[in-house]
Amino acid sequence: MKEKFARWGVLFVQYLKRDWKKNIIWILGLGLFSGGYVPAFEVIGKGQGLLGMYETMQNPAMISMVGPTPVDTAADYTLGAMYAQEMLLFCGLFAMIIAALHVVSHTRKEEEHGLTELVRSFQVGRQANSFAVITEIVFINSLLALVIGGVMTSFGADTISAKGSFLFGASVGMAGILGAVIALVMAQIMPTSSGATGASLGIVGLLYIVRAGTDVSKVNFSMINPMGWTYLTYPFTENNWVPLITAVVFNIIVVMIAFALEGGRDMGAGYLPEREGREAAKKSLLSVPGLFIKINKGVMISWMIAFVIMGAAYGSIYGDMQTFLSSNELMSKMFTLSGVSIEESFTGTIMMVMIGLVSILPIAIVNKLFSEEGRLHLSQLYSTKVTRAKLYWTSVILAIIAGVVGILLASGGLGGTAISAMGAGSSMNMGDFIAAGYNFLPSVLFFTGLAALALGWAPILGKAVYVYLGYSFALNYFGGILNLPEWFSKTAVQSWIPRMPADKFNGTTFITMTVISITLMVFGYIGYHKRDMVEGA
Amino acid sequence: MEEIVKVQGLQKKFGKFTALHDVTFTLNAGEVVGFIGPNGAGKSTTIRTLLGIINRDAGDVKIFGKDVWTDSLEIHKRISYVPGDVALWGSLTGGEIIDLFIELHGGGDKNKRDYLIKRFELDPKKKAKGYSKGNRQKVGLIAALSVDSDLYIFDEPTSGLDPLMEAVFQDEVEKIKHAGKAILLSSHILSEVERLADKVAIIRQGKVVETGTLDELRHLTRSTVTLESEGDVAKMSSVNGVHDFEQKGNQVTFSADNEYINNILTEAAKLGVKKFEAVPPTLEDLFMRHYEV
Repeated sequence: MKEKFARWGVLFVQYLKRDWKKNIIWILGLGLFSGGYVPAFEVIGKGQGLLGMYETMQNPAMISMVGPTPVDTAADYTLGAMYAQEMLLFCGLFAMIIAALHVVSHTRKEEEHGLTELVRSFQVGRQANSFAVITEIVFINSLLALVIGGVMTSFGADTISAKGSFLFGASVGMAGILGAVIALVMAQIMPTSSGATGASLGIVGLLYIVRAGTDVSKVNFSMINPMGWTYLTYPFTENNWVPLITAVVFNIIVVMIAFALEGGRDMGAGYLPEREGREAAKKSLLSVPGLFIKINKGVMISWMIAFVIMGAAYGSIYGDMQTFLSSNELMSKMFTLSGVSIEESFTGTIMMVMIGLVSILPIAIVNKLFSEEGRLHLSQLYSTKVTRAKLYWTSVILAIIAGVVGILLASGGLGGTAISAMGAGSSMNMGDFIAAGYNFLPSVLFFTGLAALALGWAPILGKAVYVYLGYSFALNYFGGILNLPEWFSKTAVQSWIPRMPADKFNGTTFITMTVISITLMVFGYIGYHKRDMVEGA
Repeated sequence: MEEIVKVQGLQKKFGKFTALHDVTFTLNAGEVVGFIGPNGAGKSTTIRTLLGIINRDAGDVKIFGKDVWTDSLEIHKRISYVPGDVALWGSLTGGEIIDLFIELHGGGDKNKRDYLIKRFELDPKKKAKGYSKGNRQKVGLIAALSVDSDLYIFDEPTSGLDPLMEAVFQDEVEKIKHAGKAILLSSHILSEVERLADKVAIIRQGKVVETGTLDELRHLTRSTVTLESEGDVAKMSSVNGVHDFEQKGNQVTFSADNEYINNILTEAAKLGVKKFEAVPPTLEDLFMRHYEV
């Protein structure tokens, strides 16, 4: 035992000291995000609000996105029930991703940086570091659970009971721990830290998509899914703690597996072998575009695959929509009145959400140029005849191409599966889906432009573009549900674009936004051209 | 003398690639062993095995008579380690990191720490991300030298240090050597090894090809002889044990097998010696000889 865990306590205290700023932002940020929307939901729930929302949330498309509710009748659909259904899964997903990234950064990443080698040369057990990180994660997520529970209870809203609030908090916290233990196992198996991050996020994404399918078809099957044990606790309605207990047992087992794996491996190596590289450069590598494609290849391929899967996952729901409408008179009437089919309406919304996610890739590619700069990877290039213009525009153009291809894959994936799911009754063809996707192209360009502007003038703010994207994404995701004031929803850039195919294409908006985006890129170039290169920051 | 490190037939594979074929050497108390070899020969891999952070595929590796993989914790109580590239947490100051390392070791001497910080001229209040390579190296050295250990493992410890600081390091190492500690010094700075080491182990392509004291190793190789004589000096070229014969007028330079040195002297005496200089091989000569083959 001692050989394994000696001095984990010192490392644990050290982590709290080193990470305290990050941890406070993590706990308060996610805590307020998870628990702080109670007043907003109270507004929605006023009058006939809850009734309407209940009907909306019966839509399989909605369930696939946010998760199910145990409530059978509109009368039982309380404020608490609504909050839990619409928020819990999403908050848990956030908690999982943050925790997974944190674990990899403190395990394999530290090994790659050479920190672990020094630490391990002291009287520190082989598993002390992993144990310290997991303890930190449990500590953070416990605090997070308490903060969420406290925040929600503090509003004193009807049906938002203390019991349910703390269960809600505990469910989010448990999701965080689940994300962490998955990452801990991946950190042992994968050959590099970036591989471990990718694999962890991939598994989280896969669990999410699998549950989208089972939630819609047969919710009991979602209980086989580890992710199910975090959001199927149904706070404020059934208040079921059992899934959390299952999750605790599961987490402990997974941690033990990770420890066993770690006990047998060399520092800095995983169980999967690293592939051997080639001896000489391929011709395709020997240019700036070639080099940039190569260093972004992993990110591009994994996101492209994610886009197709995401499109396909949402496309598979289209078949259930007609069934849902025929069983629900109220909703059926609503759609008939507005003259738009439910499929068209859903396509407009889901396309906005998906293209929001597609925007991540171009931002990542533009930001990559700065992270390469900071790591001094480009120092040797600066001294060659390669100009800054070449570096900048290659990155930006590669980002734009990635965005264009990403939209094609996401809308194609959605359209392909949707058309086959709807069968003969299909009211849309492939062209409608692709058009609906490219309708949002200006928003992708806009985010690329923002990232490029940051790269040129204040590269540290490159990460802030993700924050704005996340903000816009959340507004779009919940915008329909929350009934936000017009000016507020307009702060998300996608809201300016009409949602095809339900709405008509607006050429003026399309061109204006494209021009603004290109202007941002040009301004970014002016900054990049004259600013100091950051060395070793 | 107490045997501190014993490495016998160590083998290590990374996938299909065999990094270490056969590493064998010992290190006794009060001894400095210089561990030298070209880049990629397996020096750091051997050291990581000694630290128990990677596991060997075959062989017997013991420190203080304990197995390095299963008893690493017991062993780490009494060792100090400085890698060739000290990685630090950018957000902590040098002083904080040194204290943390001392704490992780199990305690050290506060006065020694302050003394070393002064000697190495480190600013302990600066955040580690602002340190240069040499300053990061100092942090590792100060932490390692502030604690009381029986075995010190240095993997290219002075890389990035200026010559003055190198001298400080060598001075401190001599002190711990006289205190009867064992030191494994892996280095490319051969003058440093020559000055500090009692024994040398030369590793090449994962195999220790030569071990012994510097004298022993010197004996195995040739001395460089410069000779000027009254008679026809060219005759020397056919004498047994003379190699790489070069003549410039009346003066010749050749390398001589040490076992034939008596014979060479006798032959030279017949020619009437005007000048005779024999230079023993430097470590650098030994090194080159092993590497170039």
